[in-house]
Amino acid sequence: MTLFLVSTAGALGCVVRYLFEYFARRSHPTSRQWATVAANALGTGIAGFAAYRLTGMSDAHVREIVLTGFCGGLTTFSSALAVPVILQREHHWAHAAALVTTTPLLCSGMFVLGMSIAH
Amino acid sequence: MRSHITLSPKQLGLAMLIVALGGGAGTLIRDLLLKINVYAVPRGSAVNPSTDWTHQIPWVLLAINTIGVYVATDLLRHRLRHHDPSDPMRLVLVTGFLGGLTSYSGLFSDFAAIWHLSIGGCLLVAVGAIAAGLFAGVLGLGRHRRRA
Repeated sequence: MTLFLVSTAGALGCVVRYLFEYFARRSHPTSRQWATVAANALGTGIAGFAAYRLTGMSDAHVREIVLTGFCGGLTTFSSALAVPVILQREHHWAHAAALVTTTPLLCSGMFVLGMSIAH
Repeated sequence: MRSHITLSPKQLGLAMLIVALGGGAGTLIRDLLLKINVYAVPRGSAVNPSTDWTHQIPWVLLAINTIGVYVATDLLRHRLRHHDPSDPMRLVLVTGFLGGLTSYSGLFSDFAAIWHLSIGGCLLVAVGAIAAGLFAGVLGLGRHRRRA
């Protein structure tokens, strides 16, 4: 049952990330990559909150559903690095470098912020 | 599905369903692989947690993420190069499946565990994870270049 809920939560997280990217692309076609950065930042922020708040054994299933499922689906490592690699190949060096450096820094800040709010 | 930037409500609903199917499958596989890792490589118990930071390195998630970057780069530069972001194949494979399979938040949860044991070790693993991902992406491009 937990596996099904983790998978469903992951699907939900992926759909939220897709909606971020869809609405960003619709309003500003070149800003889609930054929507992925925002989704990753939001996902790691929620993960920081959940990692701190859901620590008891009774929370283990909820923790798995939220952290592995929803946050795992909301965030993506593959697009976060594949897109900058492709951008640098197309000679968009500054854009690629900005994406590669911004994502981990922003995610670190959001994870700490999430933990601080949970505290 | 036609390649417009703005989708009709019906097209958007279909795109969300496709992403959900791919994402659910990717998340399920990641969860199963991580569970195998927990049983195969014990990280200490809740009573006696391991104090060696190297035991906390999330090898399986690092491998999943690195392979995910390689496959995503290869798909986006080769098979799906001329596909619109709303193309069903791109939605199910890249946005859905690989997005669900790989995880940034999972890495940070594991980094937090390493941070408590060794700050230097945590930074080393974090930089290594990004470097491995970039290297995998470049390999994905290289494969494309050899084929072209």
